[in-house]
Amino acid sequence: MLSLTVEQLLVSKGISPKKEHLEILEARWKEMADLRGNLDGIKIDDADIALKNIAGGDHVE
Amino acid sequence: MSNLHLKSVEELAPLIESKQLSPVELTKEILKFAHESQPVINSYIEFYDDEALADAKKAETEIANGNYKGMYHGIPLALKDNLYFKDKVTTMASKIHKDFKSDADATVVEKLREAGVVFTGKLSMHEYAWGITNNNPHYGPVRNPWDTTKIPGGSSGGSGAAVAAGASVASLGTDTAGSIRIPSSICGIVGLKPTHGRVSKFGCYPLAWSLDHIGPMTKTVKDAAAMLEIIAGFDHRDPTAVNLPVDNYVNQLTGDVKDLVIGVNEDYFFKQVDTDVEKAVRKAIDLLVSKGAKVEVVSIPSLQYAEWAELVTSLSEASAIHHSDLKTRPQDFGDDIRLLFELGELPSAVDYLQAQQVRRQLKAEFTEIYKKVDVLIAPTLPVVANDIGDDLVDLNGERVDLINNIIRFTGPGNLTGLPALSVPVGFKGNLPIGLQVIGPAFQEGKVLNVGYAIEQFNLMENRKPNILVAK
Repeated sequence: MLSLTVEQLLVSKGISPKKEHLEILEARWKEMADLRGNLDGIKIDDADIALKNIAGGDHVE
Repeated sequence: MSNLHLKSVEELAPLIESKQLSPVELTKEILKFAHESQPVINSYIEFYDDEALADAKKAETEIANGNYKGMYHGIPLALKDNLYFKDKVTTMASKIHKDFKSDADATVVEKLREAGVVFTGKLSMHEYAWGITNNNPHYGPVRNPWDTTKIPGGSSGGSGAAVAAGASVASLGTDTAGSIRIPSSICGIVGLKPTHGRVSKFGCYPLAWSLDHIGPMTKTVKDAAAMLEIIAGFDHRDPTAVNLPVDNYVNQLTGDVKDLVIGVNEDYFFKQVDTDVEKAVRKAIDLLVSKGAKVEVVSIPSLQYAEWAELVTSLSEASAIHHSDLKTRPQDFGDDIRLLFELGELPSAVDYLQAQQVRRQLKAEFTEIYKKVDVLIAPTLPVVANDIGDDLVDLNGERVDLINNIIRFTGPGNLTGLPALSVPVGFKGNLPIGLQVIGPAFQEGKVLNVGYAIEQFNLMENRKPNILVAK
């Protein structure tokens, strides 16, 4: 299975990360994955999202 | 009059209204102190000396003619440098925007101007508001007036340091993960993040659209309540503004907490907290109970995902805003925020949307607990100020990551949009400790009144930082 490194992912978006950032980015990204876990403790499958789509403009008046 | 720079708006306003104190005299005093303190705390990015004195003279004339506008008339304030002033440079404390000029005032600037505020300048901040140390590579570190080897917190660190020291009578901050409450807690002042949509963000450079807020940073709770009355209200130009009437917040400051039900969440908000911070916060809760409040322990299960949802949302939105500059001129960002912008390119669209699902669940759980309690009380931060330049912080003898820990208790207020106030409740050594009051949506009056009740306990023992003596 194709698996991109953090560096490859950023480069594919036209971003050139600092070489000395790569190790930190990998570590931080892993920390975030750990914080997320598998979201088992929350009923997420049928949960709505906190975004609005208001027809006709920004405000209902 | 002596030590005018240490006085609050509520102390100064009656003197101005009764013409015992001229706005010109006050503005000169504040500017003098701000310039003297600049080499010590570095809180300003730009001074508006000439315009401030002209505006102070105008205020003086208006008041002399019987046109006193209210508590902030003739009061000199400096604001965070991500709030636009028409035809003035707003830098966001960045290199990239160092010459940026806006063609309009921010709505909050416009409203404060109408209320008769005298603007003395713009205050430093963490670059693009994307950090909590205010250790700025382009404008130098802002220093904590209580101990100039320590950070003032951020991102509104210039506001926190200036208000605590007296270089601005009060200020405004912006808050995306805690950036009003963090420097308020660390600098020992009052900071209010109002409900999302309560204060217009038009004319404020964004950090993360769905999490950003603007709010008062002041010496007292009454100063914050009065400032909120001025800056709150609907604005067509802000897509997130909510069209609800603005309350009279000052009138709600009775200090009466009899039968107030305080929610305490032990699992999240009192976990991994510095023991001195915890002790100070629990002492304040006990004092509220002695005045007739009650405590109820509450559970908010989705808080276990709050840190992740806050990080994914803020990182993604901030990186979307700066995506183009990250591609074309990354070397112009400070190293710390460049790293965060790179990190923000990594979450997928699914990650972002799941974070929004978590937010909605979190909102639902908070709504449910507010059926049982009036407010939640928690530490504002699990720690106190740490050394400038240190990315780790001491937490009960353990060295832990500063950023992740410092936003743990403030982030949920941004995710849910609920109003949250930080009030000072004591010290660890000579470093201030903050307590956070989180309330139901659009009930800032209730939140402020709990803060006001706590303020009456005088847990800060009238201590003030005295940086010029310390120097």
